[in-house]
Amino acid sequence: MADPVLQLDNVTVRRGMGVVLDNFSLTVNQGECILLEGENGVGKSTIIETAARLLPMESGSVRHHGAVVCDAEGRRIKPPKSFGLTLQKNCLIPSQTVQQRLNNVLALSNRTLDLTGIIESYKIANRRNDKIAHLSGGQQRKVAVISGLLPGMVCEDSRLILLDEPDTGLDDDSVDCLIEHIHMLRNLGHAIVIASHDSRLRQCATRLYNFDASSIQQPNHNATWQVKSDTAQHSFLMTKIGWQLNFDTLVSLQTNWLAALLIMGTLLSIADPLTLSDNELILMGFALAPAFGMGLVGDSVFKILQEQRAIDWWRAQRNNVPNSYFESLLSGILITTIAMQIFIQSVDYQVVIIGGLITLTTSFAVRFLQLSTVRLARSNAVFIRLLTPILILPWGIIVDYCAKL
Amino acid sequence: MRVKANEAILASGFLGLMITLFLAFNWAPSVNINAFESPESQRIFYWHVPAAWAAFIAFAVLFVGSALWFFKRSSIGWKMHIAGSEAGLACGLMAVWSGCVWGAAEWGTPWDWEDWRLNTFGLLTLLALFLVLGRQSQPDGVETRDTFSTFGLYGFVLVPLTYVATRIWVIRHPGPVIAGEEGSSISSEMGLVLLIGAISFTTLIIGHILTSMEITKFEQRLERLQKELDGE
Repeated sequence: MADPVLQLDNVTVRRGMGVVLDNFSLTVNQGECILLEGENGVGKSTIIETAARLLPMESGSVRHHGAVVCDAEGRRIKPPKSFGLTLQKNCLIPSQTVQQRLNNVLALSNRTLDLTGIIESYKIANRRNDKIAHLSGGQQRKVAVISGLLPGMVCEDSRLILLDEPDTGLDDDSVDCLIEHIHMLRNLGHAIVIASHDSRLRQCATRLYNFDASSIQQPNHNATWQVKSDTAQHSFLMTKIGWQLNFDTLVSLQTNWLAALLIMGTLLSIADPLTLSDNELILMGFALAPAFGMGLVGDSVFKILQEQRAIDWWRAQRNNVPNSYFESLLSGILITTIAMQIFIQSVDYQVVIIGGLITLTTSFAVRFLQLSTVRLARSNAVFIRLLTPILILPWGIIVDYCAKL
Repeated sequence: MRVKANEAILASGFLGLMITLFLAFNWAPSVNINAFESPESQRIFYWHVPAAWAAFIAFAVLFVGSALWFFKRSSIGWKMHIAGSEAGLACGLMAVWSGCVWGAAEWGTPWDWEDWRLNTFGLLTLLALFLVLGRQSQPDGVETRDTFSTFGLYGFVLVPLTYVATRIWVIRHPGPVIAGEEGSSISSEMGLVLLIGAISFTTLIIGHILTSMEITKFEQRLERLQKELDGE
């Protein structure tokens, strides 16, 4: 008997004030393709998102390849193997190019591959170096669909592929191509779960599941996907991706750096550093204020990930999402060096490092607060930054300490 | 007209507050004029301390309500969470505002960013503000309730921290008045006004919490009826 790739064991999930899945169980084995059918609101997307570790459960557990990846106790464990995921929303980062996005997906599977053939089959090869924001809605959907299929296309061993309404917005040729790919990936031994209303996708399913009953069928398609990828190891992947996102979009320049420079300019407008030369505490406060303000703006990469809820896709894949830790540390060091030169006319390496750490820890704290509300329906409207003034207290203590150095 | 118990409690708490204010300004003795920069402003203490006391009661209700929702999915728990956060915000703002007025008169500055008690209490009040505003910005659902209950649970850690803050890191804020050290004793007239204030604020907060829970019950009933009309 084929090994189970996905197991949902007695899962109960609430959404809104209703119970959507009640003690629900589902097992998907190697080489199986399950098509979830049913009316709107019946729970198809909930199954996909629960399997992707995105929804908390009241009871039960989810296993990938036999290992628990999340359960009702709140544990979220990194899946033993990368998996393909296309959510109902595209969850793409608009500032990335098509190539960068797909490279990220490959990196999560520790593979490299020339993607030309795959993106040509969906007729977006000419847009591979374009930013996702510049693509049409249908083209963006194609990128999201390829992102979901790619882990299966580059790995010989069985992978889980979760596709939520993958056909939405696709032209007929692309739907045909998608069906062909699903057939070939299933024949390779991957396990595929699809939620869709499109009857054309029925032909590639080995099991039709409509919540009242399920039926088994044998798709008539024997071609198998040929894997041609190479193995590549990636370390500090989330920081590297965060660095690349920052570098491409210059988002930290328009948010963190702008705030820091404005603070410095405001302080300079109210006081001449030369007239304050005997007040070391005030001067040290002025020198460390830009680094603190830079951190209070938050993690710049997190801001990018909030667009189109791209963060959901990343949260499903990894426990830690792309970050700007390294960039925050460097920026804090740099802005403190500049501020010390302006306000104190000398640079102390200890204070400079402390400035870097202030930016790093402050942006980390803000990011932590933002991540804790990311589950909410309107996470941008939740006033979470009301809690950040408490960070002024430790900053003040550090300023005191630095003034005595 | 039928007066409900919670309305009667609320009204008696309000009446007690008026009496407290009258006694604070007209009957309570003045403090030693040599010991304070601004002795008369010290009278705000009869408002400030009971407000902080009531805020702590409200935060305790918030904590219990959050725990009941988070661990038991109790509907009453969620009503307590809402009532506790609203009452905590109201009393927290009263305590912070009156503290700032006194601080400006006595210390020359309304706020000290390096005083642990001020900052931890300020954070508690901001937490209540976050819970009230944040909840209003979200559709009601398990996700919303779970997230805000988690903040309610973690936020309660600040209550004992705020209480012990003046014992561990005394900078500016005076030491605890209730269950304080031997040197913190006050005259009997002062103690009486303070006691009346504490009882009044406690009564007011109980009335407020009961009223708020009843309003939430009506809101939830209205929501259910709307869903029935929608055919869900």
